[in-house]
Amino acid sequence: MSDPDQQLVDLTRPSPPVAYLAEVWRRRDFAILVPVQDLRAQNMGSALGQLWHLLNPALMVAVYFLIFGVIIDTSRGVDNFLGFLIVGVVWFHLTQRVVQDAAVCIPRNLGLIRSVQFPRILLPAATVNGQTAAFVPALVLALAAVIATGERPSLRWLALIGVLAAQFVFNFGAALLVARIGAAVPDVRQLLPHVFRLLFYASGVIFSVDAFVTSEFWRRAFALNPIYDVITCARWCLLGEPVDSWVVAGMLAWGSVLLVAGFAVFWRSDQRLGA
Amino acid sequence: MDSGRAVTVRVDDAHVHYRVYEDPAAGIKQLFASGRTGRRYQTIRAVRGVSLDLHESETLGLIGANGSGKSTLLAAMTGLLPLASGTILGRSRPSLLGVSAALRSALSGRRNILIGGLALGFTRAEVESRIDEIIDFAGLRAAIDRPLRTYSSGMRARLNFAIATARIPDILLIDEALSVGDEDFRVRSAERIDEVCSAAGSVVLVSHNMAEIEGSCDRVAWLDDGVLKAVGEPGEVVAAYLASTASR
Repeated sequence: MSDPDQQLVDLTRPSPPVAYLAEVWRRRDFAILVPVQDLRAQNMGSALGQLWHLLNPALMVAVYFLIFGVIIDTSRGVDNFLGFLIVGVVWFHLTQRVVQDAAVCIPRNLGLIRSVQFPRILLPAATVNGQTAAFVPALVLALAAVIATGERPSLRWLALIGVLAAQFVFNFGAALLVARIGAAVPDVRQLLPHVFRLLFYASGVIFSVDAFVTSEFWRRAFALNPIYDVITCARWCLLGEPVDSWVVAGMLAWGSVLLVAGFAVFWRSDQRLGA
Repeated sequence: MDSGRAVTVRVDDAHVHYRVYEDPAAGIKQLFASGRTGRRYQTIRAVRGVSLDLHESETLGLIGANGSGKSTLLAAMTGLLPLASGTILGRSRPSLLGVSAALRSALSGRRNILIGGLALGFTRAEVESRIDEIIDFAGLRAAIDRPLRTYSSGMRARLNFAIATARIPDILLIDEALSVGDEDFRVRSAERIDEVCSAAGSVVLVSHNMAEIEGSCDRVAWLDDGVLKAVGEPGEVVAAYLASTASR
């Protein structure tokens, strides 16, 4: 007891990144199990219950097919348009849900943030994990539908694992950034649906960019859109649609930059998110 | 008298400010009349220059009128609220007793024990090894698989308390948690609090129940409008506080 104050640390300062990440890892069960419980809670009151996790993506694809496959024909330049559409819609939807949910994950959990101390990054992490888990039925459905349209699984399908991993990284980085912005400016929640409506058309979800855009310059410009990159890579894996190296590079670059930037921004503001 | 004991938390000239957005009567006139852009807000200085040491194996009572800054000070000590200025040093990070904000009303009591436990920093295995003990302590064996929204407020409070006290932190902050549930549970929860207080390194207890404060605290701090008015012997500080409220 010669110097009883020696061991005191400043509680108002964020812990260094390595200690922060160690604490996140120690509490990883929170970010994995809580969103799964929340998914279960979502459909608890409904008659069809957990079946909705499968019905929702099925209906979504059915509606898009009705509109863009039957009523308006945008299938120019695509051999298997139904498969093309399904992959586009399902993959686009994943990123859209992650980002839109991430925007509200801090305000929605303000009560928790103000009463329990934990690394706040667990909240956007739980958002990403929850939406990724909700994506699994949609993924199974998409694979089954693609096979039903006449595609046959090949070694190329294995590359989908890499695409999914890259998309997860990108989604996580985007979620961190958007969660931070959404905590400071709640208005982004109103803005995001419009941003995604724009991105929907800029990502070639319902039409082939290659068939409509002839200039090399503008095709490269599309590669700057990470969602277009992810969808195009997934289509290459499952349907053999063309992909160029710019698109793959765009996907990987966006993912790594967003993850690092998102973590840095989020970590720095961790202790201010409850204010 | 406390100088020999190790300091577990040192609050030094802490200031906490809140920004509260105004909710003006909305009207076309206001929309155009206001020359300023953005929403108007008021800064509330909830804690203004508090300095306080918490010692090893000490229970400190924190008293004061509603809105005097007690809960804000506790939140700042856990790192939940940023300081406008000053410092808070600690041996470890204090935790606030309670986990009600993590609970989901659509899910069963059992699933909520998992969620609450995870929010408090347990791993899944740690929750599972304690779950029976938590259910029994809450006295909710029969209702544990029912959704939380079917619980009475007393049952909810018991569940929250049972989860929150499943782990005893080194530095524990209690914000008026003691009077939950019916008489039987009140007795058991009072026992658990005593247990928790003796096991924790140090405790800060916020309460309006002066008998409880005098009964369980070694020292009492009186917070008035964000400023520390007195710190000392429980009997003296409580008497001074009661005298001031009586004269108002």
